[in-house]
Amino acid sequence: MTVAFEKEKIQSFIDRHQGKKKSLIAILQDIQGEYRYLPEDCLRFVAKTLGIPLTDVVAVATFYRAFSLTPRGKHVCTVCQGTACHVRGGPRILDEFERRLKVRAGQTTKDKQFTLETVACLGCCAIGPVVVVDRDYHAHTTVRNVGAILKKYQR
Amino acid sequence: MNSREKLQTVRELKAAIREQVNLRKSDKRPVLTVSSGTCGQARGSAKVIGALHRVLEERKLENKVRVRVTGCHGFCEAEPNIIIFPHNVFYQKVDPKNGRDIITETVLKKKILPGLLYKDPRTAETAVEESGIGFYRKQKRVLLADNALIDPTKIDDYLAIGGYGSLVKILTGMTPEGVIETVKKSGLRGRGGAGFPTGLKWESARRSKGDLKYVICNADEGDPGAYMDRSLLEGNPHRVLEGMLIGAYAMGAREGYMYVRDEYPLAVKHVTLAIEELRRLGLIGQNILGTGFDFEIRIAKGAGAFVCGEETALIASIEGRVGEPRQRPPFPTVRGLFGKPTCINNVETWGNVPLIIDKGADWFAGIGTEGSKGTKIFSLVGKINNTGLVEVPMGITLREIIYDIGGGIPGDRAFKAVQTGGPSGGCLPKEMLDLPIDYQSLAQAGSIMGSGGMIVMDEKTCMVDIAKYYLNFLRDESCGKCVSCREGTQRMWEIVKKISDGKATMEDIAVLEQLAGAVKDASLCGLGQTAANPVLSTLKYFRSEYEKHVVEKRCPAMVCKEIVSSPCQYICPIGQEASTYIALIAQKKFAEAYEVIRKDNPLPSVCGRVCSRACETVCRAGEIGEPISIRGLKRFVMDWAKAKGLDSPVRFPVTRAEKVAIIGAGPAGLTAGYALARKGYPVRIFEALPVPGGMLAVTIPGHRLPKDILNEDINFIMESGVSIKTHMALGKDFTLDDLHNQGYKAVFIATGAHKPIEIGVPGEEAEGVLQALEYLKDVHLKRPVELGRRVVVIGGGNSAVDAARVALRNKNVQKVSILYRRTRKEMPAYPEEVEAALDEGVKVEFLTAPTWVLTKDGRVTGVRCQRMKLGEKDESGRPKPVPIEGSEFLVPVDTLILALSERAYTPYLKESDGLTLSPKWGTIIVDPATMATTRPGVFAGGDVVTGPSSVIDAIAAGKSAAEAIASYLEGRPLVRARRTTRPSFYVPPVELKEDELQQAKRSQMPHLPPSRRKTMHEEVELGFTREVAVREARRCLRCELETEDGKKATGRET
Repeated sequence: MTVAFEKEKIQSFIDRHQGKKKSLIAILQDIQGEYRYLPEDCLRFVAKTLGIPLTDVVAVATFYRAFSLTPRGKHVCTVCQGTACHVRGGPRILDEFERRLKVRAGQTTKDKQFTLETVACLGCCAIGPVVVVDRDYHAHTTVRNVGAILKKYQR
Repeated sequence: MNSREKLQTVRELKAAIREQVNLRKSDKRPVLTVSSGTCGQARGSAKVIGALHRVLEERKLENKVRVRVTGCHGFCEAEPNIIIFPHNVFYQKVDPKNGRDIITETVLKKKILPGLLYKDPRTAETAVEESGIGFYRKQKRVLLADNALIDPTKIDDYLAIGGYGSLVKILTGMTPEGVIETVKKSGLRGRGGAGFPTGLKWESARRSKGDLKYVICNADEGDPGAYMDRSLLEGNPHRVLEGMLIGAYAMGAREGYMYVRDEYPLAVKHVTLAIEELRRLGLIGQNILGTGFDFEIRIAKGAGAFVCGEETALIASIEGRVGEPRQRPPFPTVRGLFGKPTCINNVETWGNVPLIIDKGADWFAGIGTEGSKGTKIFSLVGKINNTGLVEVPMGITLREIIYDIGGGIPGDRAFKAVQTGGPSGGCLPKEMLDLPIDYQSLAQAGSIMGSGGMIVMDEKTCMVDIAKYYLNFLRDESCGKCVSCREGTQRMWEIVKKISDGKATMEDIAVLEQLAGAVKDASLCGLGQTAANPVLSTLKYFRSEYEKHVVEKRCPAMVCKEIVSSPCQYICPIGQEASTYIALIAQKKFAEAYEVIRKDNPLPSVCGRVCSRACETVCRAGEIGEPISIRGLKRFVMDWAKAKGLDSPVRFPVTRAEKVAIIGAGPAGLTAGYALARKGYPVRIFEALPVPGGMLAVTIPGHRLPKDILNEDINFIMESGVSIKTHMALGKDFTLDDLHNQGYKAVFIATGAHKPIEIGVPGEEAEGVLQALEYLKDVHLKRPVELGRRVVVIGGGNSAVDAARVALRNKNVQKVSILYRRTRKEMPAYPEEVEAALDEGVKVEFLTAPTWVLTKDGRVTGVRCQRMKLGEKDESGRPKPVPIEGSEFLVPVDTLILALSERAYTPYLKESDGLTLSPKWGTIIVDPATMATTRPGVFAGGDVVTGPSSVIDAIAAGKSAAEAIASYLEGRPLVRARRTTRPSFYVPPVELKEDELQQAKRSQMPHLPPSRRKTMHEEVELGFTREVAVREARRCLRCELETEDGKKATGRET
């Protein structure tokens, strides 16, 4: 799902932050929010417009986990791997997602429906193990209800 | 305050506060306070709020009853919860359906709904008010309590509780230096983790020259398991902002940033709203309230980098750069953001400031310990009953937090460790539970205070796995600048992974420790410098656990997948490949399943009926439903194989000259005999009783273990080449010296433990008082036994239940009761046996113990009993029964059967035999590694060495003994293979349908109806049918396929 480069939109994000170099992360967050990843053309444009070497822009884009350089699937499943969720069986939940989706964490399914991610902690430890799909928080996940969770989004 | 106009002076602010405070005081309408932070919303608080509004609308009560949507109340376990004011009622786990009753019954009629009250998991007591709930009682919620009083999106609510009163105070009567003095005097230390004295930091920032200075709030809360800051920002953002305003004033800062991590969208939303409100009211901007004080604040969002919690990395991130820390000095207070003096403090630190200004430095310093003042918020998570955010005074002990506030460990499991300080901290064991929480004491114990994450772990947590977990986190989050951290965390992780995989050596542990030291010394920032803490603290307190992984290839908590593979196979004393044969049953390959069972178990039909099946207790399907009926499936296969004529022994050729004698034809002896015959040794077993089988033959009743089934297994062993001579008792018919003279080169003593333990109650020697094992033996050997009409059995183990059920089958007997001194939960007998006994009409009296046996003319007539209650746990780990005074009562008895326990007893061994016995237990002492006794060539194993244990343990002992004897006879050292658990081959998984995957319940074993159970000859359990067996086998989760080997073998690598 690579997107076409929309110059005006990217310019508007840059303008929103007064084109300041220090706002690079915020600008990239806007782009990520819009397209759910950072298209290469956008990165080149931002580098040029802000007057930052492309390598520095890519350094920032690859350093921070919030950014993705590849297109995401239609749905993003984030399995929490925080300590409290870990102690409550988080790794097995991740295993089950990997088994069902046939991808490893960080990858997107071939049909581009799902991207599987992990996060170190969502701060919802009381309802762990936690899985977030898009914006929905799923509490007390077990290996048995992973299938039901995925089914909800499989359309 | 209806006008939303800018406040021009401090006096106007003061008036606005007063107005809101009075408005609230005078508003007597009830309030439904619904906690709706991120967790509350995830648990459906929005629906609850919607339901409440609907009911209020229906009843036209919208103006009479208020609904206040607040942030988190701290008690996450109880979400969604509602506090009703002014009733002061706390309702937990509220469902939208409860909305109507809450309003009509509680709000309007003041009637409590008991189903919504908090119930203590241990005492079952309920509490109406928050103050009555154990979770809250020992807390001191100076910061968090306000979450329940305000809607975080409404600044008026904050003003109504006196908010921004501290700002008024400093603007009207305190100098910046005065403010800093107050903060210094309070003793406030940074709550982000390092605990640096806040007043000193502010002073340094103030002293720095420059017109432009910054204050930053570090809300990057990256420690996994810590979410105190999230709750504060979501629930009371103004408290934090007020703190920053005060700080900016004190330090001369004109600009501020709130750096919030990306994963907290609700916190960002509420802070953004709060800042807008402040701007509108003129509390942010130029010349605030006409005082000449300027302050502007912006939000900067994190982008998913844990290292950005470190202050110089955080600064780099705000500057739009990669989050790499830099050298300090210069410290940020001298040169920070954009090169200007910057004071960075944690959310909780800022949050405390308005309270300190309001109530004074002395108030704050009056809470806590000498070196650690004030309160600290902790996120109490993990294996704990009351998960939530707890705010406690410094100095409270870990024990109080975990047990009094936290309610202890779920499932009554044993506490193992508590982790504080996140990835920079350490794990503290139970010996440290009485440690007072304090910056210094935690550091001395090998951990740190950290930002407040407190993760409780129980016996099912593996400390090696925890170290691996944290190292994995750290190697991922390392910014990469320093070789020592970048490479060090990676290499440490690799070593700990090796340990967790069962592939490491002791040298690896030595290297790990060296590496830890290097990473600590050579890294630039806190992440690297503390990266070794999880490893070092777990090595310090749990070294033996590491060593078990390395030397024995065992993981005691059964977590490390690469070591455990399938828990059922792992825990079986003889390593039966349960998951393999279950997988074959699922594929209807019963003959192959039979082969898998047979290859490791010489008494498979016996085990399929009476094994204590530890496998089922650790079955993973049992963690999310009911365990697989493994024993039942084993029985199915054996019955099937026998019906098909497949269970035929092969005679092993005798290839060795050395004769071996075995004393005792119980499971240990039979197994040792079979294993030695398989190795080519000529073996003879000497059995004192008229029949072989030991307890299997003469104690376990035929209705549980049919004797023809037992004899088939024994015949199999005999036909394989093991000779058994009955009526041969050691000490009477032959001695050890005789065996030696007859040319036996090795002897294995496996005579068991069956001397009954006396109760120690007067009258127990009377007639009509029987010992359970003796009684059962007499019945099985067809000796005459007389029972009276009323039979009472004392005890709670399998022997007690066996004796009771056999007695009931006696024609004379009309009533059988079992008296047990604890409750059903502690009864050691198999639950299905107790169930069957109850079905048959046996009465069981729990919490009852005998005190006196009444006799007349030397015959028992009754037993005086006393009621018991459960007290503290004793050495067996079970609650000690405590007598209840004055509760004695009399039970009339014709026959009393005592079934307390047995011990080893070896009167047939003389001192001249050269063996050593344990004076306390009567057991034979052996070298635990070689099973050799003190007499050369004589070995011992099974119950005679361990005391009473299980059939499968005896079988394992027999196998071990055979290995030990073989190496002895062959003159080579005994090497016990230490291997990770693996099946001998991998069966591909079956494709399951969705409804099969959801099948959490296990198949019921069909039973003979009680009315048809007349004698011991009718087997009670009937066995699974083919369809049921296949269906049950398909429920197996196939844990062995989750190891790397398993994935590879079945092509499931991703």
